[in-house]
Amino acid sequence: MTRIIAVTGKGGTGKTAITTLLIRHLTRGNKVVLAVDADPDTNLPETLGCEVQRTIGDVKEFMHEERDNLPPDVNKQSILESKLYEILEEMPGYDLLVMGRPEGSGCYCYVNNLLRGIMNKLVGNYDVLIIDTEAGLEHFSRKIFKQVDDLIVVTDGSRRGLGTAERIRELVGELETDVNHIYVIANKVTDTTRGTIINTAAELGLELIGMVPMDEMIVQRDLAGQPLMELPDDSPAVKEVENISRKLNL
Amino acid sequence: MADEFPFEISPMFEGERIRKDNMHVELAGPKSIGFELVRAADMNDVEDGKFTLIGPDLADMAEGSRYPIAMIYKIAGELVETDLESIVERRNHEFQNYIQGLMHLNQRDDVWLRVSKEAVKKGLTSFEQVAKAIMMLFKNELPFIEKVETVYITDQAEIEKEIENARAVYKARDDRTKGLHDEDVDTFYGCTLCQSFAPTNVCVITPDRISLCGAINWFDGRAAAKVDPEGPQFAIEKGELLDAASGEYSGVNEHAKRLSSGEYDRLKLHSFFEYPHTSCGCFEVVGFYVPEVDGIGWVDRDFAGTAPNGLQFSTMAGQTGGGKQVVGFLGIGVNYFRSPKFISADGGWERVVWMPSMLKQKVLDSIPAELKDKIATDEDVKDVEALKNFLKEKDHPVVKRWVVEEEEAPAEEEEAAGQAPQAQYQQPMQYIPQQMPAGFMPAMPMMGGSGTGGVKIVLKNAKVTVDKIIIKKIE
Repeated sequence: MTRIIAVTGKGGTGKTAITTLLIRHLTRGNKVVLAVDADPDTNLPETLGCEVQRTIGDVKEFMHEERDNLPPDVNKQSILESKLYEILEEMPGYDLLVMGRPEGSGCYCYVNNLLRGIMNKLVGNYDVLIIDTEAGLEHFSRKIFKQVDDLIVVTDGSRRGLGTAERIRELVGELETDVNHIYVIANKVTDTTRGTIINTAAELGLELIGMVPMDEMIVQRDLAGQPLMELPDDSPAVKEVENISRKLNL
Repeated sequence: MADEFPFEISPMFEGERIRKDNMHVELAGPKSIGFELVRAADMNDVEDGKFTLIGPDLADMAEGSRYPIAMIYKIAGELVETDLESIVERRNHEFQNYIQGLMHLNQRDDVWLRVSKEAVKKGLTSFEQVAKAIMMLFKNELPFIEKVETVYITDQAEIEKEIENARAVYKARDDRTKGLHDEDVDTFYGCTLCQSFAPTNVCVITPDRISLCGAINWFDGRAAAKVDPEGPQFAIEKGELLDAASGEYSGVNEHAKRLSSGEYDRLKLHSFFEYPHTSCGCFEVVGFYVPEVDGIGWVDRDFAGTAPNGLQFSTMAGQTGGGKQVVGFLGIGVNYFRSPKFISADGGWERVVWMPSMLKQKVLDSIPAELKDKIATDEDVKDVEALKNFLKEKDHPVVKRWVVEEEEAPAEEEEAAGQAPQAQYQQPMQYIPQQMPAGFMPAMPMMGGSGTGGVKIVLKNAKVTVDKIIIKKIE
């Protein structure tokens, strides 16, 4: 069975860095990972250190634009599957898919329905599917992913940030997606904020699974636009993500 | 299943993805060329079980390399005919995916294969093993195949030579499928993808009628229904032909009743005015009746301007959608313009009076030659009066109807709700729809085209909310 993990949170919380470090952990443990960048605002490919040319959005657009030009009796599911495999960025230990641009006008029901079937099959090929997704969880509402084992909300330690986690928990209740567990990771934590974060999380009834410290190495790499996959083992953030992974049994 | 093969063969391996990390060799695909082709042949021309390879074999291919591949199967049998070629060819995809360690994607000259390192380790070293397995499956699963012979080509130059022949075969096949019509098949397909927001929508997909969203043709319906008969696309037995001109079938009517929860019990596939197809909301184009000229205009989703009736696509779509039969409006997919049965109950192209120029360009080849100049666009006319003049000037076929209707009036509607005085061509009718609530069904006002008679407006089951009515003297 493929373990399905979604990492979410508002822009600027560092959820993409956390996602990357989780992938770093998983691939080093010889797990085969499918990483999905489902947030148009983020840059998972950059933090992973790979380049993505085309996205699922492009493929859906292709299917939409070309539908009257394709031979009438060719199998469209098969074409979409092949196009999807074409845009899968194949890296050592993991594959990366980028959701990309939103749909244009017109009806995408059929393409999305085909996509659901293909994704379902594709996901079964991996040990872990990890999705970096925006706080609105739009792709879940479209049921491209039907089920999530662990939803991880990354937040800064502020009350407002933790409030977002609470709202996401409410949002999940409204989705048709099954979510087994919701965890919170506080990121960019300092010694002065640590105590308050623990208290606030407890107050809101959130399951705080880790507190990733402010890490100078990440700050430096972010500034220089360097990937985070090759962070050394002694990076404080890497160490905490290792801890979290153990707790999550990854 | 078969001990002679160094790999397992089972449908459970379908969907198995071979990643670059685990790949021994890649064949064809987006970075190379290749094709698959099945040809029906005479019994005497097929040597059963024979395999020929032109080019290097698997054992000669280094780990991590990429080669082109062509796979040609010649099949023969009492019942084998050309029409079966594409169906058999499709099974190559399925059967190759049954083989553990072999991934087959796409079709025709877009095929893409990968062989896994593990499969090679276990002894898959020759294409002959693959070909023999496929030939076995062909004969086991498709008993009409009595003899099958295989040629695989991995030589680039040889494939380049052969690929044009394959493309010519695909082209001939496409031309044949384009000649497939409603009367040639027993089964249509239904789709319920839109029912979440259009609960009474009844989408019927036939060889001559693409889905309203434009995404699903009859072949797509067939493919989906075969894989998952309980899924969103499913078969409809078309039943008895009740009326050929409008495309009314007993099976479709039954299906309409069931799908719309009893809301509609008749649905004519190629009719605009009488029991038209329901409109979901996803449709690419909406047709609107223009009573002043007794013709039909069409406006597509991409046209941002205003149609001669004073309305935009979004307004008409909002009113037409929701899965209702709305007399006077009809949602369709662009490809329906290319259908030989395009609104055949109501005169087909001869009834079309207006389209946005972009849309007209798109379907120009399907417009009968003598009508091409007679259908107005947004570049020719902006309002109904100009449209009327345009049609008259070009002698559009609807002009003849104007005279006929003058003689026929009053029209045959059963409940005349009121006679309104003739309001020239800018009658308020064209402004009403903007405020029209969902239950409003305008019956067609019959219009004396050139100044005599009056307007009859029939309101059935109407709930009308009007924010403001402005009545002005015409200047």
